[in-house]
Amino acid sequence: MAERNTEQIEKIRDVVAQDLLSGRIDLLLGWEKGHYWWQSRPLFARSKKDLDKLVWDPFCAVNLSRYLPDELKIHSKVGVLVKGCDARAFNRLLQDHMVQRDRVVLYGLPCPGMLDYSRLAEEAGGNLVGLVEQNGRVILKTDSGEKEAERKDLLIEKCRDCLYPNPVVYDQMLFSPQGEKSAPERFKVVEELENLSAEERFAYWEKELSRCLRCYACRQACPYCSCRECFVEQENPRWQGRAYQTSENFMFHLVRAYHGAGRCIDCGECERACPVGIPLQELNRKLIKDINELYGDYEAGLDAELEPPLLTYRPDDPAAFSEK
Amino acid sequence: MSAALNETSADWEPLVVAFCCNWCSYAGGDLAGTSRMSYPANVKVIRVPCCGRMNPMFVLRAFQRGADGVLVAGCHPGDCHYSTGNYHGRRRLSAFKRLFEFAGFEPERFEVRWISSSEGDKFAEEMETMTAKIKALGPNRKMRDARWQSVTQSK
Repeated sequence: MAERNTEQIEKIRDVVAQDLLSGRIDLLLGWEKGHYWWQSRPLFARSKKDLDKLVWDPFCAVNLSRYLPDELKIHSKVGVLVKGCDARAFNRLLQDHMVQRDRVVLYGLPCPGMLDYSRLAEEAGGNLVGLVEQNGRVILKTDSGEKEAERKDLLIEKCRDCLYPNPVVYDQMLFSPQGEKSAPERFKVVEELENLSAEERFAYWEKELSRCLRCYACRQACPYCSCRECFVEQENPRWQGRAYQTSENFMFHLVRAYHGAGRCIDCGECERACPVGIPLQELNRKLIKDINELYGDYEAGLDAELEPPLLTYRPDDPAAFSEK
Repeated sequence: MSAALNETSADWEPLVVAFCCNWCSYAGGDLAGTSRMSYPANVKVIRVPCCGRMNPMFVLRAFQRGADGVLVAGCHPGDCHYSTGNYHGRRRLSAFKRLFEFAGFEPERFEVRWISSSEGDKFAEEMETMTAKIKALGPNRKMRDARWQSVTQSK
């Protein structure tokens, strides 16, 4: 079992219980324990009793804002616990007019970064039964003893290069913010791939994408994939074929990534949700990097008032092709 | 279409799909025709209202269904019939072109050009260059739908 951060959970519970009882919110989106101790799944709390299940631990990686558009169809006011990435996802949905600001109450949780079970298990060696956190270090408990490791080495992929651990939009901040972060290696893999030849890049992507099951978990987890009808399910024209072959894999993944051009908040939920471990984030980051290079720095989800770069233009824009 | 299918033969001819904006480039193609300029018959023109209408799925679908190269042609910046369509198109197609290359496709296979309705000569010239480049590059095998050949050949 992960040691429960009882003090913090109590504080969250007190605040939201009050709002649930007073009718300020009808539903709270939070996290509860999943089947295994190292899984935290979304909690949909409608009463004070439901809040007993609430947790806030190093496994609360699921982006809760993604559930808002659906929940707002049946509830008039929804409260959400937001980490840094959930808050930027909320801005994304706000810009897409998928949520209304006055119907959502955001409780800000500064995020220390979430832990990756597969990395924990690998580090521990033996059968991992629990962990304790202490000052940036994690003590892993196995059947045969204890092992200590740096917390930053055990983060899930999406948290490693996170620039905004603190919520950028909230109604109430519950804890004191995390310190500033930098992510010097955010585009490292993209740059490495750019330096390869076209043939090598094609071989890389053909291999990675060949694992795709077309389960569309990446789309379901993604805050920018908010279309009511997705192109993969359109029947006429049927853009996305069902066949298992390279060209259909590229069709899906290039178009999925492209739909996030200038909109992707780089929360990494697609990659985390992928059951076969396709490095989807590198496609998204490639677009972020290019758009920053060509049309000026833009960080999606930071400010809902700023216009996304692909919805606007300047007459003297550069182009990626010859304009002679 | 049959030319594009004989990929193994020495006299292989590429298929180039050109998406032309209705107001400038398509009219430019018309001018090339009425001025009796010749350009390769490998080019198949598809008319679109504006290059801002271009959905990257059009490009990928063209590659799936037999194209070896795709060219998008629109009005020069500032000349768009809809005032700003090509400015938006420039940003979108630039982002797509870079992503397309990142996925490992040859950059020459997808091009964007500005061709006005008075530039019949430029139209013919661009089609000539594009066809020559694709011919040198060889057939597109990476993005081709595996079922496409057998379906068309059996017809």
